[in-house]
Amino acid sequence: MTARRRLPRELALYALAGLMLSVWAFPVLWALLTSFKSERDVLAYPPVWWFTPTLAHYREVLTGPSSIVPNLLSSLIVTVATTALTLLFAVPAAYALARLRYPGRRASGFYVLATQMLPPVGLIIPYYLALQRIGALDSYFGLVLIYLTFSLPFAIWLLVTYFEDVPLEMEEAALLDRAGRWGALWHVVLPQVRGGIAVTTVFVFLNAWNEFLFAVVLGGNRVRPVTVAMFNFISVEQTQWAKLAAGAMVAMAPVILIGLLAQRHIVKGLTVGAVKGGGRR
Amino acid sequence: MRRAPTIEQRERRFALLLLGPALALLLLTTTAPLVYLLWTSLQRLDMSMPWLQGFAGLGNFAKMGDDPRFWNSLLLTAIYTGCTVLLQVLVGLGLALLVLQIPRGQGLLRVAAILPIVLAPVVVGLFWRTLVLAPDFGLVDLVTRALGLGSHNWLGDPQLALISVIAIHTWQWTPFAFLVLLATLATLPPDVYEAARIDRAGAWQRFRHLTLPLIRPAVVMVIILRTMTALSAFAAIFAATGGGPGSATEILNLYAYRTSFTELNLGYGAALATALLALTLAVSWLLFRRRQAAA
Repeated sequence: MTARRRLPRELALYALAGLMLSVWAFPVLWALLTSFKSERDVLAYPPVWWFTPTLAHYREVLTGPSSIVPNLLSSLIVTVATTALTLLFAVPAAYALARLRYPGRRASGFYVLATQMLPPVGLIIPYYLALQRIGALDSYFGLVLIYLTFSLPFAIWLLVTYFEDVPLEMEEAALLDRAGRWGALWHVVLPQVRGGIAVTTVFVFLNAWNEFLFAVVLGGNRVRPVTVAMFNFISVEQTQWAKLAAGAMVAMAPVILIGLLAQRHIVKGLTVGAVKGGGRR
Repeated sequence: MRRAPTIEQRERRFALLLLGPALALLLLTTTAPLVYLLWTSLQRLDMSMPWLQGFAGLGNFAKMGDDPRFWNSLLLTAIYTGCTVLLQVLVGLGLALLVLQIPRGQGLLRVAAILPIVLAPVVVGLFWRTLVLAPDFGLVDLVTRALGLGSHNWLGDPQLALISVIAIHTWQWTPFAFLVLLATLATLPPDVYEAARIDRAGAWQRFRHLTLPLIRPAVVMVIILRTMTALSAFAAIFAATGGGPGSATEILNLYAYRTSFTELNLGYGAALATALLALTLAVSWLLFRRRQAAA
């Protein structure tokens, strides 16, 4: 191929790449821009690009009467509790599934995979009825319990793929050293899967932070995650465009930050999940 | 005299100790609720008519047969799932193939692709409802008005609303297919292509006979995962249209939700959720069988 023929082709490719970039990034950047506009500028036609930026909406969503800070706190508690419990149960389970020989190993692996098939709406009805009966609607307990239904199977399967990659010889050497099962797991295997645990933490955190259906049904005035609080800014009569944009920016700041920082891990996690199976979202 | 446990016995005990708690927790959090769901689907349990409670047998399922709203939601689920999965895979694969040829700037594209994935679907639905698709002020209307195509009620018109929610889902999740397929393509050995190029194989033939067979497992897995997500899609549609106008975007998942928590008919809602579960199992069984055939 000659250079003259290559140039227009490359230009076309870059133009396409630019288009993709804008299609995926633009709505988010537009929301960011909107969050700094006054309500009057938001509704201007044609849209204004140069305007006096205002922090009023951020002040309002953080300190105003419809502050989302309590909601951020709700989200944080539910998400951190879910992530911690998930890892506590998933790491040992994944190790057993990946490495140990015991009867029913295939069946137990299949069971973990099958629990992911339950549609969320099918889970929420029995949870609602059961939690209502024991008076645990609008509680952290109920929400964390139901969040485990999507995070635990997913985490176990993602971690299994990482445990399988640890060379067997290392573990055998540790066992010969009379380190014992626990010693080998703690001192030899776990440090090898640190990366996998980090990826799993990121995914579980993102999914729990972003969850909406369970939160809207099982939450209430006390436990009201930030995804549900987004509807504070929308009513039948009017939408508070700029305030919604500011609120969404604050609510999504943690996940956007994690997404940008853990970018490589996320792509790896998606690929591992996609090649080996598992994962609902 | 008691014999010391063999290595196998000790390994079994260790496995039980590690796996047992997780399995018990899953039993409690997923399988017990499933049994309760099936039990509820056999009840007449309508919070708006509490005096009519009781065992209904298969009554709720029989009711589905002549419930046009159920059949409509089933059709919408098929359209929604089919269109979004097809679009994600086609667009994602096409983009991945093109981006692979760009020498620089792939990193930036990857960052942009991560953005929709990490956002909460409910926020995506709200963004699109207010900033992208709102009549007059939305980004799409700005473009169509500038092009002389006029303003449209993207979420208020029944047909446009269905297209809109499909577009929203496709926008958010195409990056997933794109990123996974880009990573898969990047792992393919380059010498295969070199040989083909020397053989003067055309671009389409190279793709058809070399690339596609190599990435087929990844493509099939993307289809499986994306189908599962589409079948249980909720928050973005809820935020954008709420299932409306009327029931124009009410996929089975939303119908089950609305029946249970807006109309408070939990018995019938449970039956609808059971139908969705059956559909999910049937579809995943078909897909996994295809995957085994392909592998």
